[in-house]
Amino acid sequence: METPYKNLLPFALLLLLPSLAFSQEPPSFVRDIRPILARNCFACHGPDEENREAELRLDDRSVAVKQKAIVPGKPAESVLLARIASQDEFERMPPPDAGKPLTEAEQDLLRRWIANGAKYEEHWAFVPPKLPDLPPEAEDPWVKNPIDAFVFARLKSEGLSPSPQADRITMLRRVTFDLTGLPPKPEDADAFASTKDPQAYQDIVSRLLASQEYGEHWARAWLDLARYADTNGYEKDRPRSIWPYRDWVIKAINEDMPFDEFTVQQLAGDMLPGATQSQKIATGFHRNTMLNEEGGIDPLEFRFYAMVDRVATTGAVWLGLTTGCAQCHTHKYDPITHTDYYSMMALLNNADEPDLLVKDTVTLKQRAEIEKQVSQLQANLPKYFPPAPGDAAEDVRRQQNLEAKFTQWLKEQQGKAVAWQTLIPTKLQTNLPRLEVLEDGSIFSTGDITKRDVFSLTFPLDKLDRPIVAIRLEVLPDDSLPASGPGRCYYEGRRGDFFLSELNAATATEKVKFASGSHSYGKISIGNGTADAKNVFDGNGSTGWSTSGGEGKSHQLVLNFAKPLEPNGKLNIEMIFERHFAASLGRFRISVAPEQTDEREIVAKQQPVEIEALLAKDVSSITQAERNSLQDYYLSVTAELAEARKEIDALRNRLPKFGTTLVMEERPADNPRTTHRHHRGEYLSPEEEVTPAVPTFLQALPESAKANRLSFARWLVSERNPLVARVTVNRRWQAFFGTGLVRTPDDFGTQSSPPSHPELLDYLAVQFITPKSEGGLGWSTKALDRLIVTSATYQQSSHVSKEMLATDPENRLLARGPRFRVKAEVVRDIFLTASGKLTRKLGGPSVRPPQPGIVTAVAYGNGSWPASTGADRFRRSLYTFSKRTAPFAAYAVFDAPSGENCIARRNRSNTPLQSLTLLNDEMILELARALADNAMAADTSDKGRAVFIFRQLLTRVPTESESSLLIDYQQKQLARLQSGELKAAEILGSDKATNAAAAWFLVARAVMNLDEVITKQ
Amino acid sequence: MTQNQRQNNLPLLGQTRRHFFQGCSVGLGQIALASLLSDGATGAESAVDTKTELPTAAKPTHFPGKAKRVIYLFMAGAPSQLELFDNKPKLAELEGKPLPPSVIKGQRYAFIQPDAAVLGPRFKFAQHGESGAELSEMLPHLAGVVDDVAIVKSMHTDLFNHAPAQLFMNTGFGIPGRPAMGSWLSYGIGSESKDLPAFVVLQSGGSLSGGAAMWSNGFLPGAHQGVPLRSQGDPILHVSNPRGLDRRAQRDTIDLLGKLNRKQLDVVGDPEIATRINAYEMAYRMQLRAPELTDFSQESKSTLDAYGANPGDGKTAFANNCLLARRLAERGVRFIQVYHGGWDHHSNVEGGVRSAAKQTDQAAAALLKDLKQRGMLEDTLVIWGGEFGRTPMVEASAALGRTAGRDHHPQAFSMWLAGGGIKPGITLGKTDELGFHVVEDGVHVQDLQATILHCLGMDHRKLTFRHRGLEFKLTGVEEHHPVKKLLA
Repeated sequence: METPYKNLLPFALLLLLPSLAFSQEPPSFVRDIRPILARNCFACHGPDEENREAELRLDDRSVAVKQKAIVPGKPAESVLLARIASQDEFERMPPPDAGKPLTEAEQDLLRRWIANGAKYEEHWAFVPPKLPDLPPEAEDPWVKNPIDAFVFARLKSEGLSPSPQADRITMLRRVTFDLTGLPPKPEDADAFASTKDPQAYQDIVSRLLASQEYGEHWARAWLDLARYADTNGYEKDRPRSIWPYRDWVIKAINEDMPFDEFTVQQLAGDMLPGATQSQKIATGFHRNTMLNEEGGIDPLEFRFYAMVDRVATTGAVWLGLTTGCAQCHTHKYDPITHTDYYSMMALLNNADEPDLLVKDTVTLKQRAEIEKQVSQLQANLPKYFPPAPGDAAEDVRRQQNLEAKFTQWLKEQQGKAVAWQTLIPTKLQTNLPRLEVLEDGSIFSTGDITKRDVFSLTFPLDKLDRPIVAIRLEVLPDDSLPASGPGRCYYEGRRGDFFLSELNAATATEKVKFASGSHSYGKISIGNGTADAKNVFDGNGSTGWSTSGGEGKSHQLVLNFAKPLEPNGKLNIEMIFERHFAASLGRFRISVAPEQTDEREIVAKQQPVEIEALLAKDVSSITQAERNSLQDYYLSVTAELAEARKEIDALRNRLPKFGTTLVMEERPADNPRTTHRHHRGEYLSPEEEVTPAVPTFLQALPESAKANRLSFARWLVSERNPLVARVTVNRRWQAFFGTGLVRTPDDFGTQSSPPSHPELLDYLAVQFITPKSEGGLGWSTKALDRLIVTSATYQQSSHVSKEMLATDPENRLLARGPRFRVKAEVVRDIFLTASGKLTRKLGGPSVRPPQPGIVTAVAYGNGSWPASTGADRFRRSLYTFSKRTAPFAAYAVFDAPSGENCIARRNRSNTPLQSLTLLNDEMILELARALADNAMAADTSDKGRAVFIFRQLLTRVPTESESSLLIDYQQKQLARLQSGELKAAEILGSDKATNAAAAWFLVARAVMNLDEVITKQ
Repeated sequence: MTQNQRQNNLPLLGQTRRHFFQGCSVGLGQIALASLLSDGATGAESAVDTKTELPTAAKPTHFPGKAKRVIYLFMAGAPSQLELFDNKPKLAELEGKPLPPSVIKGQRYAFIQPDAAVLGPRFKFAQHGESGAELSEMLPHLAGVVDDVAIVKSMHTDLFNHAPAQLFMNTGFGIPGRPAMGSWLSYGIGSESKDLPAFVVLQSGGSLSGGAAMWSNGFLPGAHQGVPLRSQGDPILHVSNPRGLDRRAQRDTIDLLGKLNRKQLDVVGDPEIATRINAYEMAYRMQLRAPELTDFSQESKSTLDAYGANPGDGKTAFANNCLLARRLAERGVRFIQVYHGGWDHHSNVEGGVRSAAKQTDQAAAALLKDLKQRGMLEDTLVIWGGEFGRTPMVEASAALGRTAGRDHHPQAFSMWLAGGGIKPGITLGKTDELGFHVVEDGVHVQDLQATILHCLGMDHRKLTFRHRGLEFKLTGVEEHHPVKKLLA
């Protein structure tokens, strides 16, 4: 039963539910009864234990019968009916504050259902689809494929017949919009209109399915679900780099990656055996959650909200269930318990969220070429060393001078070098992050971090042979850290930064005092405090050391002890990272310096630690190879070669950087993240720990499978999930017809309206997942699209009579073809195509088409919008930079999503602000000017120009009266231009502008505003 | 029937389309001709088929409301209640000492450590008006109209960071994606204006943490989104003609579109085309109306002076916006959201409050006087306040270079309300002697939202929209109530 039609559109009710209103056939539980109970009763008498009244549940037959609410076969004895029909306000159900009394028709249905035995059946969507038999109408000549058989059977039962086929140009325009999001070329339309080839339509479909534009168009629909955006959201809404994920989606769709594989890679590509870079990039799907970068937040709280979003999104996309309802309590209508919800979260909750450097082949090659040049130049450096004065050959003198200067340098440096010894901790403890010792003795941090992280490290000193006098902390870069580290800061502060507030050292017996400190580099982000080394032992948690701006490089901090430490026992080091954002270290190494022969203070060096280690070696033990390394280093720093090295420096600056993207990475086995049930869904109210599992009302994960993200992903696209096939084909249907066979693409639960064509939905669902070898579509979305667009149903004319409009305003019965306004991005892409400006480049980072600066100026930080120039200005709208807090205005006004939520169905509004945008937005006017220029170049006659403009935008040829209206308008504006009332120079922004050009610009602009231009019909 | 059921039973667009489809046969030619002949804003009115409804057309309320519209002066960043409304002499006594842990409990703070010392109030307080309401010396103009306002000292919220708390106050939820209060009202009762949006947004001062999500339509139809308006330049995005085009050229264009669209409507029969024709007509009316809207030359010098407004002067942006808000209210806009950023005083709360109060106190008070004088205060609900309060404890940080500031404090803060439906001259609620917790008549953010809806004749439990399987409400799933003590 369909709520919207219940009271006010009785005719539609009859139409959609022909059999039940008046027939005496027993009501169907699934179709007729369950929706009534779900809507009116389940909130208090349903699955949710916490809100259950009188211990009565009506979703469970045994309880309902036991409580005598329902006495099967005996309506008169069933308390349910008595309470519903009661005239006493205090007795009647539902209570007045909970809902309206049931209608007579509803009560009648319940009565007849009880009289017939009150049989319960499972909700249709939770029963796996079975391939239905084709109705006899399959033999009708109108029918082109099985879709039509089901549609036609339904129409026939309503006494309706399908509309005639749309004219060929309309058909071509429709299918081109649907498969590529772009309009066809007028020449292609003419060819198609005139051909007699019966295969012509099939061929066009094949060509469109194979075009790169197909992947771009359908990627946009998937990105709505993935809540893709190029910024983090919330207050600061800073840019993020995740476009490689968008590229992955486009490519996967163009390659027609089967939907099951498409799913597994996005949810758990990182866990596939030998995961490729591409499979890791795919896991960006669930990294599209927002990130709150506001200073002072609790980062784990917002991580929890991101998890909540992941569960809701997974539920909407693969289960078609409103799982989000069970965040706070057991679902009121669907059989998802509060624990189910958190068990499902647990399946997704065991990943770290690192950055991934995308080592693409193009960049790799460019880098290799530059690096090769660099090493050649480096090898040649000695040739540029200034020669010593003298009479010998220049080469000889050059070599002598180099040798002399290098030896002198070496001696000096050896005198300063300290024989640092790296300490390997025997114990690593923290408040939360997981520390791990790597082969090089460095310590690497993963897991969650907080606003106050404390690392407690224990180092044995008994292997040392001399007292120690200083400690060195190296902070090291790593590809998997934000901005390559060394810190783990990922919000508010600079990415890759850290903030070491305090470093405390102690032996078993006493606290170790520091006398002095130095660093190789120091700068703090956010705030104007110093980054002095001494800040880490001043006892003040709000001061510290940080290397902001030095991301991707090593730095060091050296602290001298007040007195030497004896080489025995243990050294405990406590590092405290405390700021208003999470900023602990990602990778670091601790070394100590032995007592020196002199009293000098040991200071931090710019020199690489490897070089210092060589310099500190016993001179006699240095090998030739080591000496060569030292000489190479000398050549790279000596002032003698400053000029010669400029070219090397310039080349290094030109090294192209790898793109980065956000990915999931399953946690190591020794650091699982626990998931709890949260009372009322609140972050601060964790209750018992839950085990990872799929909702208990569905078939469990296979016994052999580990309960983890990968198994969950595979389960979602397995036969164990009865929903995925129907939900997926329904979303596809919706894209073509405007409304799905099930109206709510993200809710197939018990409260959803039943499908308009249940057998058709099941037919498509079963076909979709049946392997190709067995005659199915094998999860191929291209094959599904082909099936849809080659149906007679799809090819019908969308013209509608007043009678039909009144009968079926939403076209649920499909007696006509689809007609609706195209998506925001397609609106602009039509104009780009028609004006000839469209740049056909596939993939890459986002671009910024022009828009008034005020749109982003209202966002936090008054962001600017530097419009792209050249080809980037005219790229498909899919590639427009998507800023969550200031969405591109011309798209937002046409209902494009902001990337803040998973969107399974966009609104399609029709508003005055859209009109203002199309009439007056300079971005569109720029394209109108280009279109007018093209028209003037293409033809010299008024009519020819008018037709040119019209056809670029509308494909079809204008009628006589349409073109004369355009010409009249052009003439009228031309007269005003000629009279000086309007000025061409002003309108076109150029002194050379002619009146005719201005008038044609006005025509192009006007036609761009026609309803038909931005409508698929 | 709930609001949502009404909506579902009578799909607005469907209804609109049918209406217009029928109404359309009166002939767009006539309409266009009338438009051509008319000139100026008032003329456009007559050119309109007033039976035609857009999704924001006025709709009946649940019950008769006292207020017809809202002007919400949102003080973004969170003003210090301890420097403005909530006088706590005890804090001066305790200055420099930490609060006992029993008071702090497990509260998380944004920047400070819980053992931070107390900071005494920076300003003097005095009683004002017949009501004897206590205000700090930073609000001399409000003091002059204090008998018209209801001060609430017992506000509390759930969130302690700006973006989430601002979103919570505006949309009832701490994460972006829900409809704003103005969108709910646009959806629920529509607009009384035929040529302006139902929900407009004005902005001055510093950046807004919650951003555009604060005036988003969320899952409601796009027609209900808040429309940012500016007091200079193009008041609404793209409302001005392209350069070189005059009004007549635009009218010619819209007439041409009308004729061509109409032909298509005849052939195709889709009422959506009629809705689009109608949208273009309203767009044209907005174009006519917009310049007049921001033309302050119609205002007397004494009015400008009362607000402290100075057209085009960025320094008086808030005052200009208050005046613009009154003009929007006069023109039937339902929800006028005026944001003023710059209240986030983590350091030098004394100087910060002094400066922000100077920018806002006079204009806010002038707005109340002006509305009252025009007889509009009785059906205009005016609200003043931020997203949370500020700590009784001091904020100081060497890394951030902060001293003598206050951190975020969700447990207690102050706001004021005035006008339609609100009991004037009262002070509601109390906090403890430290200003830390509410001890009497607590008002949760969602109680405030229920109160605002109530003043407009809407029952917050019935203003619902079905989305993702749930009946969503502005006021969320927990039980909340309009604050009876605040109601006139």
